[in-house]
Amino acid sequence: MKPPRPSGPNRKLSQGAFAWLLIAPATLFILVIVAWPLAETFRLSFTNTRLGGGEYVGFENYIDLAESRKFHATIIRTFYWMFLSVSLKLVLGLIGATLLNAAIPGRALFRTLVMPPWVIPMAIGMIGWLWLYNGAFGVLSGAAQYVGIIDKAFEFLAYKKSAFYSAVVADVWVGTPMVTLFFLAAMQGVSRDLYEAAWVDGASRWYRFRRITIPQIMPVIISMSLLSAIFTFNSFEIIWILTEGGPRGATTTMIIDTYKVAIGNFKFGEGSARTVVIVFLLGIFSLIYLFFLNKINKRYGVK
Amino acid sequence: MMDRYTKLQLVGIYAAIAVFLTFLLLPFFEMFMASLRPLEHLFRSPYQFWSDDFSFQAYRDMWVTVPLLGRYIMNSIFISVSVTVLTMILVVPAAYAYARLKFPFKSISLGIFLGVNMFTGAVLLIPLYRVLGTMGLLNTYWAMIIPGVAFLIPTGIWLLRSYLEKIPVELEEAAYVDGASRMYTLRRVVLPLAVPGLIVVATAVFIGAYAQQFLFAITFNQTREYQPLPAGLFEFIGYQTVTWNQMMAAALTGVLPVMIIFLFLQKYLVAGLTAGAVKE
Amino acid sequence: MKALKTLTIGAAMLCGTAISAQAEELHFIMCGGEAFQADLDVVKAFEAKHDGVTVNLEQVPWGTCQDKALTLAAAGNPASIAYMGSRTLRQLAANDLIVPAQINADTRDAYQPGILNTVTISGTEWGYPRAFSTKSMFINCDLAEQAGVACEAPKTWDDMYAMAKAINDNTDAAGVGLAGKDFDNTMHQFLNYLYSNGGTVIDTATGEAKLDSKETRETLEFYGKLVDVAQEGPTAWERSQLTELYNDSKIGMYINGPWGRGAHNESINEITVPVPHGPSGTNGTLLITDSIAVFKGTGHEDLAHELATMLTTGDSQYALDTEWGLTPIFDYEKLGRSDTYYKDDAYWMTFIDAIPAGGPEPLVEDFKSLQSVFTNMIQGIILKDDTVDNLVTIAGEELDEAL
Repeated sequence: MKPPRPSGPNRKLSQGAFAWLLIAPATLFILVIVAWPLAETFRLSFTNTRLGGGEYVGFENYIDLAESRKFHATIIRTFYWMFLSVSLKLVLGLIGATLLNAAIPGRALFRTLVMPPWVIPMAIGMIGWLWLYNGAFGVLSGAAQYVGIIDKAFEFLAYKKSAFYSAVVADVWVGTPMVTLFFLAAMQGVSRDLYEAAWVDGASRWYRFRRITIPQIMPVIISMSLLSAIFTFNSFEIIWILTEGGPRGATTTMIIDTYKVAIGNFKFGEGSARTVVIVFLLGIFSLIYLFFLNKINKRYGVK
Repeated sequence: MMDRYTKLQLVGIYAAIAVFLTFLLLPFFEMFMASLRPLEHLFRSPYQFWSDDFSFQAYRDMWVTVPLLGRYIMNSIFISVSVTVLTMILVVPAAYAYARLKFPFKSISLGIFLGVNMFTGAVLLIPLYRVLGTMGLLNTYWAMIIPGVAFLIPTGIWLLRSYLEKIPVELEEAAYVDGASRMYTLRRVVLPLAVPGLIVVATAVFIGAYAQQFLFAITFNQTREYQPLPAGLFEFIGYQTVTWNQMMAAALTGVLPVMIIFLFLQKYLVAGLTAGAVKE
Repeated sequence: MKALKTLTIGAAMLCGTAISAQAEELHFIMCGGEAFQADLDVVKAFEAKHDGVTVNLEQVPWGTCQDKALTLAAAGNPASIAYMGSRTLRQLAANDLIVPAQINADTRDAYQPGILNTVTISGTEWGYPRAFSTKSMFINCDLAEQAGVACEAPKTWDDMYAMAKAINDNTDAAGVGLAGKDFDNTMHQFLNYLYSNGGTVIDTATGEAKLDSKETRETLEFYGKLVDVAQEGPTAWERSQLTELYNDSKIGMYINGPWGRGAHNESINEITVPVPHGPSGTNGTLLITDSIAVFKGTGHEDLAHELATMLTTGDSQYALDTEWGLTPIFDYEKLGRSDTYYKDDAYWMTFIDAIPAGGPEPLVEDFKSLQSVFTNMIQGIILKDDTVDNLVTIAGEELDEAL
């Protein structure tokens, strides 16, 4: 019932083997399903494949992208989009989680009410936002007119700047529930002893939040931000349904551009090159991020 | 005692929650209103909150326009649950490995897993079609479950890992000292403590599955009876016109089961269970 | 066990994909939720005629059916026939995915003028026309009266502008509905005006881009003028949303297809008129068709052709035109029908009379690029980003590149 455990240098080896044993099923699954299509995409990026086939053109696709000023602008726009949206999601998520963590009556209901934006098919949610943003029929424009902020209907999605920020708001809307609930779960895992000790010592609520909650849930904050960053970077449906990348490219992020080229135009070769660039940029971003994660982990002393 | 709030603080908290929830639920309000309106006069300008011709007719008509609607909702739940179960089985051991154990290529392999997330399913559609075709899995439930699992595994590992990391190592070491094997520790010590994390990750996976189904369903599946709800909602789109009110009614109805499930689950997000466990 | 199976299959996969072959089953991808009764009848008749042959009629929802057909074709497992927008035919043909249609001579004569142009590339027909639409202008008479103008057809652009301005100034509503969103019907709406001004996008004989022209400049300038009497923020609107606006009596007029009558609020007093013409042309319209395409590589192309022909001629086609409320694709009187659904109906006459002067949706290989060219140009003038001259010149260049 209690087998003797191996000791000494043997332990490290079997720890590694044990680890790989745990990971193997997941790895195998992904390898079979995803690896080949990924390799295909990579291969296609060196061709000029259209709908019926193509031939190898070396780095031509990549060179075109490197030289295109429009593409550079798209990259910058995508990163700006990502930073803005993820920051907002994290902040709102923290606020939301704290609110839902409070020991007040009705919190079960509130927690459930946070879920709908996450659960509803994104396309439907975006149609809802389309209606909200509509100048003639939407609540937002109507309410603003009623209150007197503006004197005639405002079309949120018609102008370049307002369309961009409207899309950001919709994206934040989609992502906040997930972040909120994850932070909430993390907060629930923080031992009450820590809070009580601080409370006994006279620490204020804000102090407890800053010095206990945040550090304790830091690993989750970090993980969540990176994941959210990746999702947001590739966030497609939201922008597509609201504006399809317009007006005049104001909301065209890299993924929208890739879709238009690869699926819209069936230029698989060029689309694949764009996909590879997305992965490359995200990869570098993640590496930088993980580097900082390591540093913060050490600083906050998480084992 | 620590949790006692002053009246002012209580008011503040409720007010903040109200604002927060308003932001999150505003589109739903709009969608619900749309589902009540007749099709010929779906929109009015300037905005009107109520009107005489509101009715729940759409909720009745939608079953007629799309006869298999109930089946679609069931399919969605079935597929999502299958994906979640399968994914969790694969993810939990792997997440534990990344959280606790040292082994060669740890960081790189984790990075590669995360890299899978960076590709969107849409771009991989055609090669994936060939793979599934060769396996003979097209037009079955598997066609929608398997790609879903593959794309959710990295997210699952990544998220669960951070929850498992937070469980105090002392507890596991205490078990080792008593002679327990690794599997035993994992099963009996770590997992029970990770319940809040497990619930949340399982929920995320479930919802991710629910959201992704659409793409895989329309491409890899032809059998109408197996289609999930998002694909079914498309049937409200006609040649040139869309029956918006019924579509919204159907979408909202489809969301309800998931909400109810979560209402039951959320109480498992309980406060820290480790209080006192590690006291010397 | 599963691992072993996966490994062997993986190995097999690397050796090439295997497409499972079955005893003659034709795969017909049709768009929509429920199968169309006339289609089902044709299928039954076809199966009865050919022993051992079955037809798998797959209904795929609108918005995804075309993509599905394309995905299958690209993956090496094409359907036998599929319902596609004619705009895709050129790309499919250029990529060797479909075979030319075999339309027989009698049928050919009976098609409305210009229809076959929408499926013809360099003299070869690539699809069987299945659904056809033209556009006209709908005007809300109640608003016109309120504005103090007579509710009758504006003949020229100046007339139209005057009418729209009157409605805009004297009522709550905007004069005209303008579509400027990143959406395909933005280009369509513009083309209606362009073709009513004698403009061309691509010369059908030579294949040259003819967008950069005086006619286009005039049209774009007119569009710029219309912005002042149109609804707020046209770049956020596409045609189906304009229908909503029209139903709410918030715009006086807009362009739509024959389904408009059914989509409009019954309480609105409206008239349907030809698209007003510009200084350089006559009332024209946009001809759009959807076709049945026969895919290559299925092994039973002849059967596919036969099925396609059966579907697109005779009773089946007539039933579709009637039920979907489309502009008739054939001159049915020529085919021997006497009591047609559009006979003596002034509503239909507006849609039919414009056909001879109408222009097709340009048949290019890279459709999305074509759309971008137009959207860019149109949004440019709506947002007042650039001058008419520059925008048209740039559009002309971009079109050359895209071809």
